[in-house]
Amino acid sequence: MGQISATPSPPTSNSLISRIASYIFDVRFLGVLGQIAFIIVLILGARTLFSNFAGNAAKLGEAQFICRDGTFSYRCAYDFMENEAGFDISDAPLDYTNTDSYWWAFYNGVLNTFRVGLLAVVATTILGTLAGIARLSENWLVAKIALAYVEIIRNTPILIQLLLIYFSIILALPDIKEAIQPLGLPIFLSNRGLNLPWPLFMSSASTWIAFLILGAIQFQVLWILLGKREEITGHKSNRVVWGIVGFVLIALVGWFVSSSVADNEGLLVAKGSRIRDIGDIEKVMLSRAGVNHIDEFSALSEEQLAEVALKICVLRDSPSESNFTNKLRALNIPYDVDRAGSPDRATADFVDGKCEVFAAPKSILAAELATLENPGSNLIVPIQETPIVWHIPHFEGFNVLGGYTMTGEFFALFVGLTIFYGGGLAEVVRAGILSVSKGQTEAARALGLSEGQRLQLIVLPQALRVIIPPLISTYLSLMKDTSLGLAVAFPEMYLISQTLLNQSGRALQIMIIIMLVYLMISLTFSVILNWYNSRVVFVER
Amino acid sequence: MTTLTNTIEERRKTFFKRFNWQYFLQDNLTGSRWLTIWVAFITLVTVGVFVGQLGSAPGWTLILTAVWAVGILMVVAGELFGLHTSFSRWLKDNLLSSISNTLVTLLIILLVAQVVSGIWQWGYVTATFDSTRTAPDLRSEGATWGVLWGARKLILTGTLAPEHTWRVILTGAMVFVLWLISFIATRPTVKTSMGYLQRISITLWLLAPIASYIFLAGLEYHEPFINIRTLLTGLVIVVAFMALLWFFKVIKLDPVSIGLWVAAWPIGYVIWQLIARTGIFPTINVDEWGGLLLTVIFAIFVNILSFPLGILLALGRRADVQGIPVWIVWPIALIATVYLLSTSTPELWTTSRNNVERALALWPLLIPIAAYFYQRSFQGNMVQAFSVLFIELIRGVPLITLLFMAIVMAPFFTASGSAIKNFWAVIVGYTIFSAAYMAELVRGGLQAIPKGQYEAADSLGFNVLQKYRFIILPQALRILIPPLAGSVIGTFKSSSLVALVGMFDLVGIVRGIIGNGQWLGLRSELYAFLFVLYFVVSSGVSWYSRRLEKRMGLGTR
Repeated sequence: MGQISATPSPPTSNSLISRIASYIFDVRFLGVLGQIAFIIVLILGARTLFSNFAGNAAKLGEAQFICRDGTFSYRCAYDFMENEAGFDISDAPLDYTNTDSYWWAFYNGVLNTFRVGLLAVVATTILGTLAGIARLSENWLVAKIALAYVEIIRNTPILIQLLLIYFSIILALPDIKEAIQPLGLPIFLSNRGLNLPWPLFMSSASTWIAFLILGAIQFQVLWILLGKREEITGHKSNRVVWGIVGFVLIALVGWFVSSSVADNEGLLVAKGSRIRDIGDIEKVMLSRAGVNHIDEFSALSEEQLAEVALKICVLRDSPSESNFTNKLRALNIPYDVDRAGSPDRATADFVDGKCEVFAAPKSILAAELATLENPGSNLIVPIQETPIVWHIPHFEGFNVLGGYTMTGEFFALFVGLTIFYGGGLAEVVRAGILSVSKGQTEAARALGLSEGQRLQLIVLPQALRVIIPPLISTYLSLMKDTSLGLAVAFPEMYLISQTLLNQSGRALQIMIIIMLVYLMISLTFSVILNWYNSRVVFVER
Repeated sequence: MTTLTNTIEERRKTFFKRFNWQYFLQDNLTGSRWLTIWVAFITLVTVGVFVGQLGSAPGWTLILTAVWAVGILMVVAGELFGLHTSFSRWLKDNLLSSISNTLVTLLIILLVAQVVSGIWQWGYVTATFDSTRTAPDLRSEGATWGVLWGARKLILTGTLAPEHTWRVILTGAMVFVLWLISFIATRPTVKTSMGYLQRISITLWLLAPIASYIFLAGLEYHEPFINIRTLLTGLVIVVAFMALLWFFKVIKLDPVSIGLWVAAWPIGYVIWQLIARTGIFPTINVDEWGGLLLTVIFAIFVNILSFPLGILLALGRRADVQGIPVWIVWPIALIATVYLLSTSTPELWTTSRNNVERALALWPLLIPIAAYFYQRSFQGNMVQAFSVLFIELIRGVPLITLLFMAIVMAPFFTASGSAIKNFWAVIVGYTIFSAAYMAELVRGGLQAIPKGQYEAADSLGFNVLQKYRFIILPQALRILIPPLAGSVIGTFKSSSLVALVGMFDLVGIVRGIIGNGQWLGLRSELYAFLFVLYFVVSSGVSWYSRRLEKRMGLGTR
């Protein structure tokens, strides 16, 4: 062997030419040169594309960039977004009518994307964790079922899953008239979606929330004090239990205090109606129907019931309605609700005799009472309120009203995303759990840590380090796949933008906005991911 | 007889001697608060489901519960009298190991039975299979499977004209024959006796895409038969390509291979023109492809195209070249900023209508910001910066927006605003998307190669291309088989999304069939069929990749 021929020989002559040559043929120099060439190519390419675009835009769609004064300018690209939308959104989260602007319609779509996406993120986390644990279950059947779930879900396209869930399962559910009510609870599952009871905050809720904050402070203080005592005296006490007991006590006291102090809700009634407080309503109804006991109402026919029903006016979407009608339903009193768009409209209905009582916050009622021609003949009756009142879905005619309504489309997209990404997450969770070596568990046992401590201090921190990065990218993919709402007609951002596009013909402008929104979502998730990764860097050995 | 009874009696006694009720309860019920709550909960649910199903299907519920009870009896007998068989031991370990597990087992048996019987009822018992009874008034209560046979042409080839069907069959037959040849070629006995067969099969596979294109898209004949310009241009390209490969030491230049390379193009050209002149394969509009044909073409096309592009992007992202130095970047950036601020901004500012536009008029100020991040994040490395931005931007948006962009926006960016066929637009959009994901996979594979391998290649004096070709990529690709298989499956599955931008792939054509008068509303049948089809193909690919992995000894070295 002897000599190594590849050894570069040092430059023999120091002439200028060879020195320049050695710079020119330096890899670093060539690299920089190549990159500058690359940049020039990129700029030229971009210029060609842009000039093509400018030419085509002027030719294909001069109308695309038309300003209000009829001139043509790129700065007017987004002027059309202020036009009237002219289409309806079946499931708008905010107050939306088809006379609102394109911007408002788009904003509703963005909110819908977040609504379904974030809810699905929460549900996916739960489902994925459960399925991942089930994959490792010692029960053979459980493990195999979880395996089958993961395999089936991961080997089929999410689009077909969504279509199957929407068309074959949700649309095949019974009609709203025969809605499924699991265990007789006020939950209605039908082909129109899911109606759930929903808590509404009354005005007294702020007092109650103050009490809750007090309870939380109490918990923290007790935690520290008992901990100090344990350190000093060695007397062990169950800090969690005492903290929770204290919290619940304070919350209960707060509930009673805030509901007894609250004096915001009222009923506007005519003096002649003999209703002086909520208890009178029952007597009035009994005498009107000519029966002795409220239970006898059930013997009445539909027409009779409709005739004797108490006619009430409320404001649309106001918690006062639930506060009042929940009480009426508890008393079994039949009623008939007239939902008005504004206080003035409701008052007009009240004056016209379309309703006997008008339930609303007292301040509104007082203002309305002052506008009446003869305020003296009417009066405001206070009614009790609780900080939180349940908006309970119930039948009204052939429809279920009230509560929180998940439309079938929302429900399909939510369930579809949850099931699909739950399957992916199950594998992530399983890998995370398996990544913690058995020795760690055994070491924790040898140290005498309890089951909870072992999980909290030893297993979870190590498993989470493996789980969280893929978890976050799963969330990101989930958020992006909300765009599949298009397939089940759920009006999220992508579907709305498609409608906007069909109506306005401004493809480029709309695609730019929605891509920016999606990129912003992605960026947020990757910032979180990077932050987490830098916090729990693997210490490699 | 007496001895047997005695033995059993003896075993029972020893069992009770060993058995401790206190421990049993502690393990199964009272061990911890959560265990008690869990057992109570699962008991409640199981009893609830049992009672509920007893009402709807008493026979089956009782039979299944009886089977479950027999299992318990077997385990109890095994424990009590030492009569364990291997089956009862398996039952004890896997299904009936504790009270809660035993209950969960019953619960799952009942729930699975309900789901399976529901599907069975719909899909078989009350279903019709007659393809002539698919009209809405002739359907039965259950599934109407006849639609699958009735609409088979649409499902398989979409809107392709029937006179072209034989060309699809021909392509399928060709692929099958090629597969058969490579199957035979890889048998151990054949491998040793007829080694050239493998080379032939690889060459045929490389030619297969061209043949498939001719079969499926057809050829258009251009006069004259021998166009000297085309011929020479092709020849120049071939020679240049050959020189490039030689420069990077991929091929050696011996007379035989030079001859083969140079001869390949004219011969191919003549064959091409000959086939075109016969007119056996008239051109087909690519947008006529549909159904399974289109789905398969998409999957293959996109996977093949995105693979090299993905590798390039991954290499670009890891490219370790000297960045453009600060003293070049900053002066250029500052000059450009000042120049643009003085030329573009004043006009934009004076004509602006609101504050947003005023802010946008200051856009040249973005240049120094971009330059700062360019230097900070990429040390002036342009290749890396481009790759990272490209990959991250593409991965940040949903596939469906890219597909839509490709279809709607492509005409805006072509020279004459000419329409591009939807098929090609979607292929481009989809390939870009797929390549960005592929790049991240390949990057993972490249990172997994120990640094020593790179250094060893450098110290052997390999150039970049040789280093990656002989040292890095062979190792990285072997690691990459499982994730690449996953990506192939993913591409195949996501190709269903092209239906949402108006293509007639499997899902698209099925949506069309459902809207058709005769098959109106047969959604569940067709979607269930697609579900099963996709599942079978995807599982098949992943099974094959696992086999390949095993054969290449992944994880054993």
